[in-house]
Amino acid sequence: MEQPSLLPLLDERLPLTEEKVAEAARLAGVPLAQAWGVVAYYPRYRGLPQGRLLVDDPVARARGFSRLREEAEGTYPPLGLEALSPVYLRFTEKGRFLEWEGRWVPFREFRLPFALGRGHGLLPPEPAPTLAQYLALGGLGGLRAWKGGLLDPGKVLKAVEEAGLLGRGGAAFPTHVKMRAVAQGQAPKYLVVNADESEPGNFKDRFLLEHHPFLVLEGALLAALAVGASRVYLYVREEFEAAILGLERAIRELEEAGFLFVPTEVFRSGGLYICGEETALLESMEGKRAEPRLKPPFPVERGLWGRPTLVQNVETLANLPLLLREGPEAWRRKEPKLFSISGDVARPGLYELPLGTPLGEALRRAGGEPEALQAVLLGGAAGVFTRDWDLPLAYGGRLPLGAGAIVAFGKDVDLWEVLEGLAHFFQEESCGKCFPCPLGTAVQVGMVRRRERDPSLLQDLAATLRGSLCGLGQSAFWAYRSLLEVEGAA
Amino acid sequence: MRLKVNGKEVEAKEGALLLEVAPVPTLCHHPHTETRGVCRLCLVEVNGRLAPACATEVREGMEVRTDTEGLKALRRTLLEWLALTTDLSLAPGLLGLMAAYGAEPGRWKEAPSRRGRPPIRDNPFFLRDYAKCVNCRRCVDACGDGIMGVYALTLAGRGLQAHPTTPLDRPLPETPCVFCGNCVQVCPTGALRPLALEVG
Repeated sequence: MEQPSLLPLLDERLPLTEEKVAEAARLAGVPLAQAWGVVAYYPRYRGLPQGRLLVDDPVARARGFSRLREEAEGTYPPLGLEALSPVYLRFTEKGRFLEWEGRWVPFREFRLPFALGRGHGLLPPEPAPTLAQYLALGGLGGLRAWKGGLLDPGKVLKAVEEAGLLGRGGAAFPTHVKMRAVAQGQAPKYLVVNADESEPGNFKDRFLLEHHPFLVLEGALLAALAVGASRVYLYVREEFEAAILGLERAIRELEEAGFLFVPTEVFRSGGLYICGEETALLESMEGKRAEPRLKPPFPVERGLWGRPTLVQNVETLANLPLLLREGPEAWRRKEPKLFSISGDVARPGLYELPLGTPLGEALRRAGGEPEALQAVLLGGAAGVFTRDWDLPLAYGGRLPLGAGAIVAFGKDVDLWEVLEGLAHFFQEESCGKCFPCPLGTAVQVGMVRRRERDPSLLQDLAATLRGSLCGLGQSAFWAYRSLLEVEGAA
Repeated sequence: MRLKVNGKEVEAKEGALLLEVAPVPTLCHHPHTETRGVCRLCLVEVNGRLAPACATEVREGMEVRTDTEGLKALRRTLLEWLALTTDLSLAPGLLGLMAAYGAEPGRWKEAPSRRGRPPIRDNPFFLRDYAKCVNCRRCVDACGDGIMGVYALTLAGRGLQAHPTTPLDRPLPETPCVFCGNCVQVCPTGALRPLALEVG
């Protein structure tokens, strides 16, 4: 980091003592009060749970959660493993492991099986962990064009605008609007790649980071050059240890090959769902509790350390090399989107499909039979249950796509049990800064547990959560409301 | 500049907050501590979008509504949830708002509570009674960037468990606290109160 940041200083000192916290605070130049607030906020500074942990994701909830839970000493939040769920972890003094194919695989070695990825374009035909392999796939065209003077900021911004690329992190905000705003800001400026994928049901960014790191880096560097960012930070979910190591290797390779046109580094995330909210993410990078900021000002005006900052999702940036190579029109004709499909389908995995593909067709691609399903959870925890199989999977439609998660549930699944998992997740992940979210998500857990269907209570829960400071609280009731709609339609 | 509040035209100075021209309840906002945007009781609809009146500046031609059914439901529900979870016995302002909005906390049946938190009496000047704390942050802001710059208070925990504490959770006399009393002055719910007012 250009400025000392508290979180890495604390990480270097794990396990923490009071003296070490004080030392980290001194080195970061922050009051002890701030450091203590941070230590008392992020789970890893309070000591992680130990033992055998069940990953509590919507698929595990659908597979007989209480029976699965009996086999574990605790639970862990969703980890992008829905296509493999149910999954158990082992947290011991020796490190963090995933139980996989009869072995304990350390986090730093575990990647999603490559065979889960189905598509070409964003997804590579074979893993591309080295620059040579990326080049063999025809990569680095964008950065080469930049080096050769064939690309400049104006051209990149124009292409992104003409393509109409929308943010792939869930909010679907026009990418060129953010890019232009940062491009017009005063230096120094930053690009932060939001690689903190933690929306339950989604594993697309995880897969890209693990198997296609150069594509992500090339997209990030092109965006950084286009907006005049002096530094790129990859804010990566800290549990994705293999991805982090792969990215750090890839950054070194790019540098050695003379293509790292903007200094780039990895920042290990704070390890909470809220860290994916762009302003909470920036707060954590600045060494504070990851709590969302009041907007405006938006990060494009005042972001990291108060400077204009472009925060973009991994998949959004991964589209840049493709979009520049094919041209905006060709790219737009088959606009690629990654869909994380899991649950009751024969071939759960990551599917690259053109935007607009009907939900039923997407499910059939994954070996699912819509008629045999009760519903899907679309988007994630901040998503909706639906059985509208004709729904085109596109932005701006009747239902929010989120980041593209589709979790399928067969007819015998108790959807209330799934919903209980989501309600529990929101309660656990609420940061507690504003009033509606921590109160409402706690009240919601009780309502879901007792299978509350009183429409006036649900209406007031929704009206109040909608007033939350950030998207976490604002969307926390969507799944609940949509389940009652699906029930009513059944 | 001119804007419309609940359909009526009003005049406001540039840079004024909506709070100054729109009738809304407040809780966390405090001009000295610079706390704002946390409690959401002052939310209004600006051209159909929710915005906190305490943190939104007036703009020419704005259409502001303070009393839609959705906003009334939000305030009533928030007050109910606060009453369910927190001891509001020393917060007459909130009790008055509850009556005004017809709050009935019982309709929610159950919620986790903060009422079980034991009071902390670790200094001769004031009591920290976090069973009454709604976590508005005024005290933390008063102690830190808002007024004093002393940083004897911070926040611990997340979600409904989040609450003010001291660095390393130490008793106040072992912190940079100078016992200025600003935190006590700005506390809206009696969670921080002078021991001089305690009987017995």
